[in-house]
Amino acid sequence: MKKKRIGVFICHCGTNIAGTVDVKKVAEALSKHDGVVHSEDYVYMCSDPGQKRIVEAIKENDLDKVVVSCCSPNLHESTFRNAVKEADKNAFQCEIANIREQCSWVHPNMEEGTDKAIKITKTVVEKVKHNEELEPISVPVTRRALVIGGGISGIQAALDIANSGHEVILVEKSPSIGGHMIQLSETFPTLDCSQCILTPKMVEVSKHEKIKLLTYSEVQEVSGYVGNFKAKILKKPTYVDPDLCTLCDECTKVCPVVVESEFELGLTGRRAIYIPFPQAIPATYILDDTGCPGLLPIACGKCADVCDPGAIDFDQKPEIVEEEIGVIVVATGYDLYDKTNMGEYGYGKIPDVMDGLQFERLCSASGPTNGKIIRPSDLKEPKELVFIQCAGSRDPELHCAYCSKICCMYTSKHAMLYKHHVHDGQAYVFYIDIRSGGKGYEEFVQRTVENDGVLYLRGKVSKVFQDGDKVKVWGVDTLAGKDIEIDADLVVLAMAMRPSEGTEKLAKILKMSLDKDGFFSEAHPKLKPVESVSAGMFIAGAAQAPKDIPEAVAQASGAAAKAIGILSQERLYHSPMVAKVNKHLCTGCRMCVDVCAYDAISIKDGIAEVNEVLCEGCGTCSATCLRAAISVKNSTPYQVHEMINASLGG
Amino acid sequence: MVALEDLKQEAKNVLEGGTVKYIIGYKKPAVGFMAVPAFFHKPEDLDALVWDPTCVHNLVLFLKDEKKKKLGQKEPDERPVGIVVKGCDSRAVNVLLQENYIDRENVYILGVSCGKTGMVDLKKVRKYFKGKIISQIDFNENESFTVTTTEGKVEVPAADIFAVRCTECITASPVIHDVLLGGDSVRTPENPFGSLEEMESKSQGQKWDFWQEQLTKCIRCYACRSICPMCYCDECVVDTINFAVYPDTPAEEKAQKIKWVEKSPTTSENFIYHMVRAIHLAGRCVDCAECERACPMDIPLRFLNKKLEKESKKLFDYDVGYDTEIPSLISSFRDEDPEDFIR
Repeated sequence: MKKKRIGVFICHCGTNIAGTVDVKKVAEALSKHDGVVHSEDYVYMCSDPGQKRIVEAIKENDLDKVVVSCCSPNLHESTFRNAVKEADKNAFQCEIANIREQCSWVHPNMEEGTDKAIKITKTVVEKVKHNEELEPISVPVTRRALVIGGGISGIQAALDIANSGHEVILVEKSPSIGGHMIQLSETFPTLDCSQCILTPKMVEVSKHEKIKLLTYSEVQEVSGYVGNFKAKILKKPTYVDPDLCTLCDECTKVCPVVVESEFELGLTGRRAIYIPFPQAIPATYILDDTGCPGLLPIACGKCADVCDPGAIDFDQKPEIVEEEIGVIVVATGYDLYDKTNMGEYGYGKIPDVMDGLQFERLCSASGPTNGKIIRPSDLKEPKELVFIQCAGSRDPELHCAYCSKICCMYTSKHAMLYKHHVHDGQAYVFYIDIRSGGKGYEEFVQRTVENDGVLYLRGKVSKVFQDGDKVKVWGVDTLAGKDIEIDADLVVLAMAMRPSEGTEKLAKILKMSLDKDGFFSEAHPKLKPVESVSAGMFIAGAAQAPKDIPEAVAQASGAAAKAIGILSQERLYHSPMVAKVNKHLCTGCRMCVDVCAYDAISIKDGIAEVNEVLCEGCGTCSATCLRAAISVKNSTPYQVHEMINASLGG
Repeated sequence: MVALEDLKQEAKNVLEGGTVKYIIGYKKPAVGFMAVPAFFHKPEDLDALVWDPTCVHNLVLFLKDEKKKKLGQKEPDERPVGIVVKGCDSRAVNVLLQENYIDRENVYILGVSCGKTGMVDLKKVRKYFKGKIISQIDFNENESFTVTTTEGKVEVPAADIFAVRCTECITASPVIHDVLLGGDSVRTPENPFGSLEEMESKSQGQKWDFWQEQLTKCIRCYACRSICPMCYCDECVVDTINFAVYPDTPAEEKAQKIKWVEKSPTTSENFIYHMVRAIHLAGRCVDCAECERACPMDIPLRFLNKKLEKESKKLFDYDVGYDTEIPSLISSFRDEDPEDFIR
């Protein structure tokens, strides 16, 4: 067998590497290493002339394999592999020796740094000697998208993807799309009506021929891989046929059951058969089987009796819908931190202490009071109104450590709306500091303070309690250095934003990672803000972190663009550095199956089998196998052995 | 207590009816008194079957041979093999089931309970009787054995002659079986890891000296590996003598076999061999202590495995060989697993 000819290229990376590594010495040392026939250094190997040098050196010296000593393979591996491909060699005959992050940046001493750079490069030379020639694995793409969550982010992502001509399945767990945005009264900083700007998009979703809407549904199982996912979606029974329902409202008139309305956040009630709100999409009534007396027509069945079109079907059963998709956009949004967690603010038991979303419903023209601001306990107009910001936010000891970002703005809006409704009322806002970064935001807050005379008090509230028909608020004004006591008629808490209920369960189903606060983790905080770590899964909106509407919409469009990027390809390519089973050594003990995070291994005829498309080449199986019967291509135990040998000077 | 006649009858029933291919059990030795493993193919052979405190062997070992033999046969006899197992051995069957090495249909398990005592330790017996010629040792209803010597029968307290592992055993009755003889007997040893304490109290230097001395003795005969029912790999990662090479093994692969350990039994190489073996048995070893019994150099090998058993219990609350449905210790992960060893 002809001896393999290896070329080594050492990058200075300006002074990033050359500052603490004597690159000339590394190049010289490597030129004497067994198998190396060409060794050179260059100031920026990743630059165009740098890449050209590699191509030319391969041709001139008839190189078989290439090692580039430079920065992390995360950054320029593909650059150099493409350069090698350009010289008509197999791209996987090129390996990166990281002498920057793992060497020059961590060593202050030139001598030690140089010594280590030589060793690192030698180990990679030994590795590349035994590299197989591989070709990327190619798979077809199912050109459909799954969007989970039907709030503004999900709606925007679904519309963007559908408008590019790809089919979208939009799954929403509640009976209607719209999310929290449809509950809002007016939106900052322009005070346009939230429903008025959202409902056109909701209607567009319902009429879009490329969007398949599954409301009252939850994703139960997702398998597969980028480009080829399979999802099982549970469609809960609504007991009402939306095609037959004429929205005549006869059924609610006879329904004997009243429960708290989710849409109105408990400020009013609804019947067991109901429509969440008049503009609900899909426009249909639904029957809530938890409230309905037993679904036994003998027990009640009054709604069915009065339903002229016969839309009510008590025999509906939960249904599992199976869909094949290529990409997934997660837009599951947020929930408010529960008031019952806040002991200092009365554990949510004081009737006249409400959260921001409830106040939105109170201000909303379509809300339970038709836009009249009255307090729940005695329906009187509150004259003294206290807003408490950072309720649960920015409190690492007891509640959430992070800033919920939108509360400064919506509290300002609430105070302004209150003043517009109750001219003789006084609004107080307790704040830590005002964060109003955003187009037109600071001006909006100033308007609240200056034009509407809202009193901003810098300080925290220590206690809120019922005192007669008033709600006593004990706080402090740190700027004046005074204790403050207010006999308020109504208190509004700007509760922290939390990942929506069920986020953890969904993360397990999708095998996506969550951050320390329970929001979905993005792949990179700056450069990959809409991608998740799992290929083909994207994040949009408040599922990733607290966001206001414009940001959520922007991220949704970003996620959609990324999704379309995958959907518009014929085939996808996947790294061929995947696990390989030695059939003779495998005993089918299933340990690799148990540890595989990607469900890529199964047992077939008593022996492990790798699904190369699912495999990410992480090597966990290889580390687990007692028999060394499974290894990752181009990172075989023998290669690792040779690398250890080389690093020990052998 | 197991009545031998019952065991013979159960064995006869399945062998006569053809339910099993053959039965792996114990018989009297040609010389001495320690029972030896025996294979019973015909019902009439079963007269030789014995069950007494000298049946120390873990017969599960022979299921390895059975599997390998079957793999080589074109039309193998698919009937199960009958096997006599003690409490500890039954857990070894469970581990093999858990690792998919055998199927439940492959074995017909004749479970025998050790009752109140356990197995004798030959070395202790020899020491106790100092050269007297023993012909038979029997179980008693209480915690003692009846030993028959040329001078007649003597009752010996179990504690004097039975194996250390049996004093720490909590499964005197098989946990998996098709037939159970001798009833369910529960044992609650005061300190299931008592034998480790002396060593654990030593300083690091003393431990090093001790193992240095012990492992220097190893001649790498691989008896410990050969007798272990869990060491069923065709190719052992720490053995450079027996590479598994097949007709279709590519030349590249042959060339790339790694020599992690040198062949010669030097102390450092012996350390690697025994440490790797111990780690590979973590969460798999059922403490049958056959390795230590088989060791011709008297290396206290059981200690290494027992220590890892203790660690897996302490850190991961993992019990070996009770549940065949859970993933093995090495391949399981829980969010609450301790990670304070990561620095």
